[in-house]
Amino acid sequence: MKIFLTLLKTNLNVFFGISALKYRFTKSKKRLWEPILVAFSILVGGGSILTMYVFLLLGLFIGGQSIGSPELVLTFSFMATQLIILIFGIFYVMSAFYFSNDMNILIPLPLKPRTILGVKFTTILISEYLIALPMLLPALIIYGLGSQMSALYWLKGFILILTAPVLPLIISAIFVIILMRFANIRRSKDLIVVIGSLFGVAAGIGINLITQSLPQGNEGEFIKGLVQNNSQLIQSIGRKFPPSLWATLGLSQHGLQGWAYFLLFVIVSLGLVVVFLWLSNRFFYKSYLAGQETRKKTKILSNEEMVRNAGKISSPVVSLFKREWRLYMRTPIYVVNGLVGMIMIPFFLVMPFFTKSGEMDEVLTFIKNPDNALIFVFIVLGIMIFGSSMNMISCTSLSREGNTFWISKMIPAPPGKQILSKLLHSNILSLAGQIIIAITAFFVWDIAIYRLIIIILIGGLANNLINILDLMVDVLRPKMEWNNPQEAIKQNLNVLFGVLISFFVIGLLGIITILMILANITEFWIYGALTSILVLLSIPSLYGLYALAGKKYSSIEV
Amino acid sequence: MIEIKHLSKSYNKGAVKAVDDLNLHVRPGEIFGFLGPNGAGKTTTIKLMVGLLTPDSGTISLAGFDNAKDPIEAKQNIGYVPDNPDIYDRLTGMEYLNFMADMYQVPIEARQERIANLLNMFNLRDAVGDLIKSYSHGMKQKIVLTGALLHSPSVWILDEPMVGLDPKSSHLLKEYMKRHCDQGNTVFFSTHILEVAEKLCHRIGIINKGRLIAIGTIDELRHGEQADSLENIFLELTES
Repeated sequence: MKIFLTLLKTNLNVFFGISALKYRFTKSKKRLWEPILVAFSILVGGGSILTMYVFLLLGLFIGGQSIGSPELVLTFSFMATQLIILIFGIFYVMSAFYFSNDMNILIPLPLKPRTILGVKFTTILISEYLIALPMLLPALIIYGLGSQMSALYWLKGFILILTAPVLPLIISAIFVIILMRFANIRRSKDLIVVIGSLFGVAAGIGINLITQSLPQGNEGEFIKGLVQNNSQLIQSIGRKFPPSLWATLGLSQHGLQGWAYFLLFVIVSLGLVVVFLWLSNRFFYKSYLAGQETRKKTKILSNEEMVRNAGKISSPVVSLFKREWRLYMRTPIYVVNGLVGMIMIPFFLVMPFFTKSGEMDEVLTFIKNPDNALIFVFIVLGIMIFGSSMNMISCTSLSREGNTFWISKMIPAPPGKQILSKLLHSNILSLAGQIIIAITAFFVWDIAIYRLIIIILIGGLANNLINILDLMVDVLRPKMEWNNPQEAIKQNLNVLFGVLISFFVIGLLGIITILMILANITEFWIYGALTSILVLLSIPSLYGLYALAGKKYSSIEV
Repeated sequence: MIEIKHLSKSYNKGAVKAVDDLNLHVRPGEIFGFLGPNGAGKTTTIKLMVGLLTPDSGTISLAGFDNAKDPIEAKQNIGYVPDNPDIYDRLTGMEYLNFMADMYQVPIEARQERIANLLNMFNLRDAVGDLIKSYSHGMKQKIVLTGALLHSPSVWILDEPMVGLDPKSSHLLKEYMKRHCDQGNTVFFSTHILEVAEKLCHRIGIINKGRLIAIGTIDELRHGEQADSLENIFLELTES
């Protein structure tokens, strides 16, 4: 047990970066505002989602009360929490058990597999409380206060919150251990990253679809009606995953029956922990080591092929661009995070036209009215610039080089040329995003082709300016220390600055456009003015970027 | 070929002096071994030489070019191999070599000939079409070496170049280093393998706590005492 606790302490330290944070605040004292800003953003972002969720739960409780089943709020929250943990748990477990770098250190140590996996499992479990607590506590409070429950309810509730993530996570863990034992997918790490990210995207689309289907203004009434009509559905889904029902009945039923369900939930959770530990001892090393055997995939080049491959000379800028392009396109996490975002924007734009046909007809009539066409063209331009700037390429361009940045410092290519290749890469992908949005706009909103071409040109210039400013931010404060590519973009504050820069540029162009429309300036003069402003802003920015890169490249130490 | 004057570098706002007033001159035709205990300042010195770190003070001249005033010309004349081969995992070996050749603008015939020779020497021909992420540590080390030597630089700066190399590659690299110096060029390398330094280097420098504490040929370091091995000299100097 002592070894377990020591290992757990170290693992938690590494997982939450406690020592690194301590070092940052006490020794290096660099950019101390960063973690504070991140924590603040999480609080604000998480807080707003939590508020929406609490309103949903209140609606469910009131709706449930009206049909005599107020406990629906408990079933729903337990079910939702456990389903989320079950699905995402698979990826967390797979990554912690099979893809983490520390396994090479842990396996040679005289530790039982169940100790290693027990520690890793407990670490994930603790991190899952960050999801379980805000999802379950409000439901528990709403039901507890609303139904005036006794002190015993709160005690049972507390224990159930602690045990709630155990069950789905254990099921995920057992599934992963068995899967890895028989199907060796360790080699397809990239594929798993893509599938995991697509799940995230699917969840995003799902939430969007649900919010789209809520009638504006009277969500509470709507949920109440929904509950009255669908309480059977929630109960039947609950029956498919009975633990949520056990937790609900354990809390809502009085007397012996309530205790029986409560104990059933706790005992099944603990029982599965025993099964998990037994399976880990029996299968884990076999499945882990099976995945270690790498396949020998050799593509032997003939003499001619070698001469041919070594015989293509490119100019330094082209060669640097090829490097950017290949490294980006071959790293699934970059592609998924960058390009999927770009594709999702038009998807979200189109979706309302299919889900709420009645209301959207009015919008379409508004769009097709010749008096409004011009305003709508500029709205599309704004969407275009925003959508294509969401690929996070330019604001993470230097950061993505990470430990390999020494090569960029070593090669005899001036920083200006290197930055130019990065700008080229960012601009090409931004342009691709604009074209996707333009095609959507053409088919869904029937915008004239000549206008689309003009706004693609203006959008291209705007994205060029945004990319220049983004690159400046990344040159000024690159995040070079990361262990996996995910950290380079997901834990990089420059992405936030990138979004702010996009808002700033779009806002600036928006204000200028509105003022010109109000001043009755004709369409083509507005296009001309926007183009001139963007060119005038881009030229000094580009020079500024070159100068900054020349100065900063040498001082970035890796 | 290499001229270092009053070079200093500190970390944590001056609290840790990694390199302290280092002066060094490495001549053409010389293999110079740079020794020192862990954390003595070897890698920091090398990183300062190749421009990966910025010195607090001092100057470094490589092949006649000041690496602060003429960084591009200085880089064009050196080949650098770091102690840890962190390179682009998602490029193939051949894509990496072509990238390096493009950066140094190596002409086509020279590129084809050198790539073929170096790949044959390091036995990498079968792997050069694969992604670098599938390479072992030693193979990565060899592809970095190949990339660093493609443009035939006059000054080689190698940080622990033998680590990870198999005995045959290590032997061939040592022979290659000798040939390079025989043509009037310079090799500067750090190592912990004292036997290699003893047999291969024309001169040796020993650094400890950021200061160069000894420099000279093996005989000069022995102070005429024939029986003393480099190991004893090293221990004596660094423990005092």
